[in-house]
Amino acid sequence: MRKFVFRRLLQLIPLLIGVSLITFFVMHLAPGDPTALIADPSIDPVDLARIRANWGLDQPLIVQYFYWLGNVLRGDLGTSYLSGQPVLFEILERLPATLLLMIPSFIITLLITIPLGVLSAVRKNSFFDNIVTVLSFIGMATPSFWLGMMLMLLFAVDLGWLPAVGMTDPLLSGGWFVHMMDVIRHMILPLTTMTILSLAGITRYQRAAMLEVLDQDFIRVARAKGLPERVVVFKHALRNALIPIVTIMGLSLPALFGGAFIIETIFAWPGMGRLGVIAIFQRNYPLIMGIMLFSAILIMLGNLLADIGYALVDPRIRYGKK
Amino acid sequence: MPKRLIAILALLVFLIGCSAGPREHKEKAINLPDPSQADLEGRLVLGLGGGVSVLNPILSTDTTSSAVEGTIFSGMTKVNEKLEIVPDLAKSWEVSPDGKTWTFALRRDVTWHDGHPFTAEDVVFTFNSILNPKINSVRRSDYIIDGEPIKFKALDKYTVQAVLPKPFAPFLVRSGMSIIPKHILSDKDINRAQFNRKPIGTGPFKFSKWVSGDHIKVVRNDDYYLGKPMLAEIIFKVIPDENARLVALEAGEIDEAGIPPKDYKRMKALDGINVFEFDALTYAYLGFNLANPKFADKRVRQALAYAINKDQLVKIIFKGLASPAYAPSAPVSWAYSDEVAKYPYDPDKARGLLKEAGVDKLEFTMLVNQGNKEREKAAIILQQQLKKVGVKAKIRVMEWSALLKIVNDPTPPKDFEAVVLGWSLGLDPDSFSIWHSSQYPRGFNFIDYDNPEVDRLLVLGRTTMDKNERKKIYAKIYKLVAFDQPYIFLWYPKAVVGVSERVGGLSKPGPAGLFLNIHKVFVTP
Amino acid sequence: MAKNKLAIFGLSVLAFFVLVAIFAPVIAPYNPDEIVAQETLPPSFEHPFGTDDLGRDIFSRAVFGARISLTVGMVAVSISILIGTLLGAIAGYFGGLTDGFIMRFVDVMLCFPSIFLILAIQAMLTPNIYNVMIVIGVTSWMGVARLVRGEYLKIRELPYVEAAKAIGCSSPRVIFRHILPNAQAPIIVAATLGMAGAILTESALSFLGMGVQPPTPSWGNMLMDAQAYLRDAPWMAVIPGLLILLTVLSLYFVGDGLREALNPRTAK
Repeated sequence: MRKFVFRRLLQLIPLLIGVSLITFFVMHLAPGDPTALIADPSIDPVDLARIRANWGLDQPLIVQYFYWLGNVLRGDLGTSYLSGQPVLFEILERLPATLLLMIPSFIITLLITIPLGVLSAVRKNSFFDNIVTVLSFIGMATPSFWLGMMLMLLFAVDLGWLPAVGMTDPLLSGGWFVHMMDVIRHMILPLTTMTILSLAGITRYQRAAMLEVLDQDFIRVARAKGLPERVVVFKHALRNALIPIVTIMGLSLPALFGGAFIIETIFAWPGMGRLGVIAIFQRNYPLIMGIMLFSAILIMLGNLLADIGYALVDPRIRYGKK
Repeated sequence: MPKRLIAILALLVFLIGCSAGPREHKEKAINLPDPSQADLEGRLVLGLGGGVSVLNPILSTDTTSSAVEGTIFSGMTKVNEKLEIVPDLAKSWEVSPDGKTWTFALRRDVTWHDGHPFTAEDVVFTFNSILNPKINSVRRSDYIIDGEPIKFKALDKYTVQAVLPKPFAPFLVRSGMSIIPKHILSDKDINRAQFNRKPIGTGPFKFSKWVSGDHIKVVRNDDYYLGKPMLAEIIFKVIPDENARLVALEAGEIDEAGIPPKDYKRMKALDGINVFEFDALTYAYLGFNLANPKFADKRVRQALAYAINKDQLVKIIFKGLASPAYAPSAPVSWAYSDEVAKYPYDPDKARGLLKEAGVDKLEFTMLVNQGNKEREKAAIILQQQLKKVGVKAKIRVMEWSALLKIVNDPTPPKDFEAVVLGWSLGLDPDSFSIWHSSQYPRGFNFIDYDNPEVDRLLVLGRTTMDKNERKKIYAKIYKLVAFDQPYIFLWYPKAVVGVSERVGGLSKPGPAGLFLNIHKVFVTP
Repeated sequence: MAKNKLAIFGLSVLAFFVLVAIFAPVIAPYNPDEIVAQETLPPSFEHPFGTDDLGRDIFSRAVFGARISLTVGMVAVSISILIGTLLGAIAGYFGGLTDGFIMRFVDVMLCFPSIFLILAIQAMLTPNIYNVMIVIGVTSWMGVARLVRGEYLKIRELPYVEAAKAIGCSSPRVIFRHILPNAQAPIIVAATLGMAGAILTESALSFLGMGVQPPTPSWGNMLMDAQAYLRDAPWMAVIPGLLILLTVLSLYFVGDGLREALNPRTAK
C-alpha cells in the first residue's frame, strides 16, 4: 500500500510539469500583458515599458518559464504583479473562503444524494424514481450562474431575507457567535447554488451504481437466502455501490472548483475562484500560474485519496505485488 | 404541443412582467444632518467596486486603491471643491519668475501615524523613488519633462525645492502626489514591501485591517494636523457589482453608492438617501484612424458627425443623466469652451456631405472594449443611426488589453478603423499627449491627428503660466479640433451618487467627489 | 417506458428549436439588433417576451439566439468528438508508449478546473463566436478520448480485426473502416451529452463577457445583459435562462434515451 501511494505520488510530477507548461504558454501567448491594464491617459507608455522590463516580461518566453519553474521548485510561486505580494500568500489568504463553501457543499451533497440514489434504484421506474430522475436532469441542465441570479432575485432582492453578496458584514459588532451566524447567513445562497448543481449528477451516478450492484449474483443469492430486503439493500448492496461513488467524488472535484469560479464571481465571495477570474482579466501571470497549479494539485490529491479509498473499500483490488 | 409551451412561457413572463409594473416616483429634497448631531463613535461604510491591490500611492494604478489611500496619505498640495490647488502638507509655495524653480514651505506640526516627525526628507524621498526606474511607479513620466527629470532637494528640514528643466504649468497639479515615509521605506524594496499592505501615512485616518477581497478598515488619527476627524472608523467594503452596491445602500449596509441611470428616479424618491448628481471630468468619443484612407477626408468625418443623434444616445443610455459632447474637454474644467462647431443631427446633410466627398458606400468596423456596458450600448445605437444614412458600421467587442495592444501598436499602420473610447481628464487641461502629432505612433495620439496649428498651441498651453492666457489657448485648440472631427465627441457623463441621510459634512458636489474633507465627514447615530 | 416518453419529449423540443433556428428570419417579428420600442417594456402582445435595456424585442433576439446557441453547441461538440475519437482510437489501437503518452496528456488536461482553462484560453484569443466554439471543443474532448480508447481496447482483440490485419489492411483503414463503426454507439451518446455541456459552457462564458459578443444575441449574453436589470426587468433574465434549461434538459433526455436504446445490456 505504501509503495502504491509512493508510486502514485511520483506519477504526479510529470502531470504537474504538463500542467505548468500548458498554463504558462496559454497565458503568455495572450495578446496584451498586465501593463496594458494600467492604461489611463495620464500614464506614459514609456513607464509601462519600463515596468514590463522590471517584471521580466521582456525576456524570451522559454527563459521566463525556466526561471519560474526554478523558483517553484524552491517553493517560491513568485510575486503578484499588481500588489507586489507573494503569490502563495495571496492564495492562502483566499483559500479558507473557498473551502468554506466547498466542504459543506460536498458533505450536504453526499448526505442527500446517497439515500436519494439508493431509494431511486431500489424503486426503479416507480413514480418516486421518475420524479428524482426528472429533477436531477433539471438540476444538471440549469446554468449555475442563472440559478444564482434567480435565487438572489428571490431571496435577496424581492424578499430581502438574505444578504445578496459578500461574506461578512463588517459593521457587525458582537462575539464570535454573532459573526459566525453572519457568515452563515451570507453562505446560504452561494452554498445552495453550488449544492443544487452537484446534487443532480451524483444522484444519477449513485442510482446507476446501485442498480448495477442490485443486478449482481451475490444479491440474488442473498435474496434467495430469504434475507429481508432492508438487509439486502443496506448491508450488502449499498456497501458495494459506494465504491464507484468514491471515484466519482474524486472526479467531481474539478467541477466543484470550476463551479467555485463562477459562483464566487456572482456572489462576490472573497475566495480563490474570484481571485483567479480577476487574475485572468488582469493578466496577472504569476497569480494565474499559482492558482492553476494550486487547484491542479488539490484535484490530483483528491483523485489520489479517491484511489486509496477505493483500494481500502474494495477487497477485490490489490495494488502492486504482495 | 410546442405552441402550447410557448403560450405557457409567454404567460409566465407576462405574470412576472406585471408584478414589476410601472411605479410612480416623487422626487424629494436633499436632507443633510447637522454637525451637532454627530456621533463621535460613528463608522462610515463605503462600497468599493474592486479589490484593492496595493496601498502605496506611488505604486497603485487603480481608482479603488486610490480611494482608500486618500484617507491614509496626504500630499504637499490638494484640490478643493472648486478644483483649485490649495495647501496641504505644504503651507505655501512660490514659483521663480522663469517658471522653473518651485519652492514649497512645509508644515512643521505633522507626524507620521507611528509618531515619527514628517520632514522635507520624506518629500524628496517620495519623488526620488518615483523617479527611480527600478520602482514600478507608473507616475515616473509625470516628473520628467522632455527627457529630463525634475530635481527635488531639501533646502532645510521644512523646505523643498523642485527645479524643472523647462517651465511646465501642469507641475502644480502633480505636486499633490501623496508622500510616503522615508524612515520606513528607505532600506526596503518598495515594490514588494510589507508596507504596501500595512501602510503608514500622514492623513486623517490610520490603517487598521485588511481582509483580502472583503473589506479594509481605517481608524481615526487623533493627531491629524487639520483637526481630529469626526468619524471613528471608515470601512471600505468590496462589492464588485454596481447593482449589488445599490442593493446594499438601500439595505443600509453601506453609506454611499453610485447610482445607475435606470435607478435614478426611484432612488431620488427614496427616504433615507440623498442623491447628488454632478459633472465628471470625462468625455466619451468615437475616434477614427486618420491614417486610413476611408477617414482621411474631413468631410466624411463631418458627415458622420451629422448622422449621429447624440440626444438619442444620451436618452437611451443615461436616461438624460449626461449631456451631448462637442469638445475634447468637460463642462466642469476651468478651460472648457463650447464655442466650437457642433454638427447638429441632420441625416440629410450627412448624406449630402458624403456624396460631395465622393463616397457612395462606406463600411467600417468600430472597436469597443468589452465590459464597459455604456460604450457597448453606444456602439449598438451608433450602428443603428449610421445605417439610416447608408453607412454600414460593424461592431467588434474586444477585451481591454487586446484592444490596447492594437491601439498602442508602435509600428503603423495600426489595425483599426474606428474605436469607441473615453478619456478621463486631469485637473490640468494640458492634452499634449492626446493631440500632438509627435505622440503618434507611440503615445496617446493613436489616431494620427496632425494639425500644425494645434501642435503649436499645445506647446504654448503647457509652457504658459497665466491661467487666463491658457484658457484662451485651450479654447482655440478645442475649436480647431472640433472642426476637424478626428473624434466624434459623444457625451459628458454625470456622476450620480447616493449617500445615506445619516452622513453629513460632505463637500459641495463636484468632480472632486463628496468626501473631499474626509476629516469633517460625520455620521449620526 | 417513462424514459421513452422523456426522450420523445426531448426530441420534439429539440426539433422545435432547430426549426425555430432555421426559420428565425421568418419567425422573428423584428430585426433582433434594431431598437424598436421603449427600453425594458414588460411582455405584451407586441412584444411577447418584452423589450431589453436598449428597446430591442426580446422574442426576436431569443429566436436568433437559438441559432447561435445551437450552432455553438453543435460545432463545439463536433470538434471535441473529432479530437477525442482520433486520440482515443490511436491510443487504444496502438497501445504501449503511444497510449501512455496520450493518456498522460488526457490526465493533465483533466487536472484543470475546465472553466478556468477555458477562460484562460479565451483570454488569449479574441472573444468571438468562432473562438468560443474552438475553445469549448479543445477543452472538452478528454472524456470522449477515454471512452473511445476503452472501446478500441475491447474491439481490437476481436477475431474480425485480427483478420483484417492479417489480409494486410493499413492501420488507418482498420482504425476507421473496421473498428470505428462498431464503436459508434457510445460516441453518439457522448456527443448528445457533450452538446448539452457545450451549450451550458457557452452560456457561462458569454455571461462572464468572454463568449459571443454583442450585438449578436446568444442566450448566454442576453443573460449577461439581464444581470443589471434583475429588479427592473426580470423577464430579461427569466426567458433566456429557461430556454437554455429546456434545450439542455432535452439533450439530456435524448442522450439518456439513446444510451438505453443502444446499450445491449439494458435493452429488452
